[in-house]
Amino acid sequence: MNPEEDHPVSDLTIEGFAVRADLAYDLERHMWVADRDDGRLRVGMDTLGVETSGTLAHLDFVDVGTVLERGEPFGTLEAEKFVGPLVAPVAGVVVAVNTAVTDDPGVVEREPFDGGWMIEISPSAGATDIAELVRGVDAITERFRARVAEYRRDGVLAE
Amino acid sequence: MPPTDHLRVADFGTVSPLRSQTLWHAIADGVSAGGPPTLSFLRPRRPYVSIGYHRRMSEVDVDECARRGWPVYRRMVGGGPVYLDDGQLFFQITVPMRAVPPSRPRALRWLLAPVIDAYRAVGVDAEIDDRLEIVVGDRKVCGYGAGQIGDAAIVVGNLIETFDHDAAAAVLRVPSPEARAELARLMRRYVAATPADPAAFRDAAIAAFAARLAVEPRAGELTGTELTRLDELDRRFVDPAWLAGPDRPAPAAWQVKVRAGVFAFAASDGRTTIMAGVDGGRLVGVRLSDPTLNGATAAVQSSLLGLDLASAATTLENSGAGGRRLSSLLRLAEPRRS
Repeated sequence: MNPEEDHPVSDLTIEGFAVRADLAYDLERHMWVADRDDGRLRVGMDTLGVETSGTLAHLDFVDVGTVLERGEPFGTLEAEKFVGPLVAPVAGVVVAVNTAVTDDPGVVEREPFDGGWMIEISPSAGATDIAELVRGVDAITERFRARVAEYRRDGVLAE
Repeated sequence: MPPTDHLRVADFGTVSPLRSQTLWHAIADGVSAGGPPTLSFLRPRRPYVSIGYHRRMSEVDVDECARRGWPVYRRMVGGGPVYLDDGQLFFQITVPMRAVPPSRPRALRWLLAPVIDAYRAVGVDAEIDDRLEIVVGDRKVCGYGAGQIGDAAIVVGNLIETFDHDAAAAVLRVPSPEARAELARLMRRYVAATPADPAAFRDAAIAAFAARLAVEPRAGELTGTELTRLDELDRRFVDPAWLAGPDRPAPAAWQVKVRAGVFAFAASDGRTTIMAGVDGGRLVGVRLSDPTLNGATAAVQSSLLGLDLASAATTLENSGAGGRRLSSLLRLAEPRRS
């Protein structure tokens, strides 16, 4: 998987939300995943996740070296005095955490795709979960738009 | 929708400080495992301090707590360090995560709306303000924290029948006696007790949450699995490693939130000191110390009252070398932390 080979780097705006088409997404968990040249996967929160979290107050990540299954917590987030887990979009070993965002969670709100990355994972050998991520301009646009529509229909987001 | 046809109601009465934390954590595990949504109530037998999941222990004056014999426990939900005693009736609403909106602000409003109904049923004209604080006028009347524990969402809050503002200020670490006095002043100004009938509040909350969840309330107790979990939690909560919490760098300045949007702030570089109270981004109290201000201190302090933080910093920059030092210190204030 290398979105940069399949699609040019491009910034999209979908239903008012900034989306990067060169990333892959787990839209259930509101996480983006980026390939790194060294085989690592960089993970961050998508803009819909940022919007529905409220004002971020605290972030905390598991230690480097932690082995994660897809769906397991890789950290915790506190916003609006509400603590909840950050959930891994892919399985692997945590090889780096971004202390810039634990020191200042506002970075995630200001730069969700750049300085706001959260952890880097060395993916498990043979893992198939990476293939389940949403990638490509068309798929990302369709699925992201559907998610926003669902949230607006359910009153999670304002119309 | 909840998976069962009833709301379990568990009133634990008066319990130890430790159990006033671990009981509802055990319930959260039970609800996460498929148990019914649960509304619980309890009151701590004696004073203690609870600190939020992410917060630094250095925010608590542990020496003062030890001197008074007040234990400190770390909870798994959010918010800051708080003082608790038997003048506060605590409630906890615990529901499956799938029952709440997938947006924290919306989830909180959804879970707190029945609390507002309960307040109004006992004659307290409470509301949820734009900052998600439960208030009467501009005064906070309910402290709450929330979290996801497993697959359960929980909100913990209190009916404040009486509130010891001085004790609440005493358990927090402060940089100076003046800062503690300012903190206590802000607490008295912005945190209020609502001495309502606790039994009536409880009954109204039961009715309101049952209506919210569209189920019947039913008295219940902990399950065997929850009791086992309770024992585990009793041990975890007194484990120093759990109490220590995450290792986080200390902020550059001291800051304590009193209610959403209101905080006490102090910073010093060893030579110059600033202490302030801030409400809605504007200074409502200022105390400055710098050797170069000489006799101008009082006038400069007065000129800052009512200014927003950025304007106050700019004003200080135009007040000589000392003012520039004070301005740099004031810029360490972080309104987003409030």
